[in-house]
Amino acid sequence: MTDTIIVTGASRGLGAHCATRLHEAGYKVIGIGRKPTKDLPYVTRIADVADPESVKAAVDDVKRDASVYALINAAGIASMNLILTTPAETVKRIIDTNLLGTIYCCQAVAPAMIKRGNGRIINFSTLGVPLAIKGEGIYVASKAGVEAFTRVFAREMSAHGVTVNAVAPGPIATGLLEKVAQEKIDNVVAQQLIARQGEPEDVWNVVSLLLKPESSMITGQTIYVGGA
Amino acid sequence: MSYSEIEDFIRAEVASLIGKNVQDVTADTILVGQNRVVDSADLVVLLLAVEDFAKEQLGVQWDWTSDSAMSEARSVLRSVGSLSRHLSELQPA
Repeated sequence: MTDTIIVTGASRGLGAHCATRLHEAGYKVIGIGRKPTKDLPYVTRIADVADPESVKAAVDDVKRDASVYALINAAGIASMNLILTTPAETVKRIIDTNLLGTIYCCQAVAPAMIKRGNGRIINFSTLGVPLAIKGEGIYVASKAGVEAFTRVFAREMSAHGVTVNAVAPGPIATGLLEKVAQEKIDNVVAQQLIARQGEPEDVWNVVSLLLKPESSMITGQTIYVGGA
Repeated sequence: MSYSEIEDFIRAEVASLIGKNVQDVTADTILVGQNRVVDSADLVVLLLAVEDFAKEQLGVQWDWTSDSAMSEARSVLRSVGSLSRHLSELQPA
């Protein structure tokens, strides 16, 4: 039986990079994205992770399927703005997608892993949480919630052999950073323990480590790519 | 399927989870709250088994993660008897 891995945010950025690597590694990948995307080597289903019914519909056929080995919650949005000047609608959208979206996907998919008796859940946070980066307050707040959720869910899932961890990169060179001024990126990179801008492959390296069967004792952790 | 057959299934599942004889589990055996016999991890395993049982043996879809099931979970899941009654009532007349 080929193991299935569900990847949210799979239509672009780090989610697409991880999904592509997983596909190449021989996993059956179910990508979830908000918009239809062409030319991806894996199946992509349309869903908005901020909508629990949309998430349930997207994974309905695999929600109790013991072939589901892992869930990678890479879907996320950001809006660089000072906290005081961020519109309420934007605040809600960021929290809904990044924090609630992660929770909804875990609720929908984790029972399949419980049935299987093991599994891996990998959530995405940001180096911005420990660095407390100015101008990313709402994004950082949503990801701090993801980190706290990760620790608690790891405890709740440990009896079922399912590990729950978070990967927290700094600014990674993907298309999502095209509109961000290089000066801002350099400022964050300078605060990392390793002052080099990470590549998608640096994030995949951590994800692939957490996915290994041998990583069954790593849970409840947030791994900061680049160091903080 | 009769109520007693459904209760027998749930009693057997609970007994297996807690490592006791099925005779030690009754309709009054508590599943959630004070004096419960299963911990939360075992309760999830029980619910997954009951979900399969409902689908395969009773021909009904019972998704314990649905909002409606969650909202009535305290009463439905309180004991082996209450869960058995709930499943029995889900069957088409």
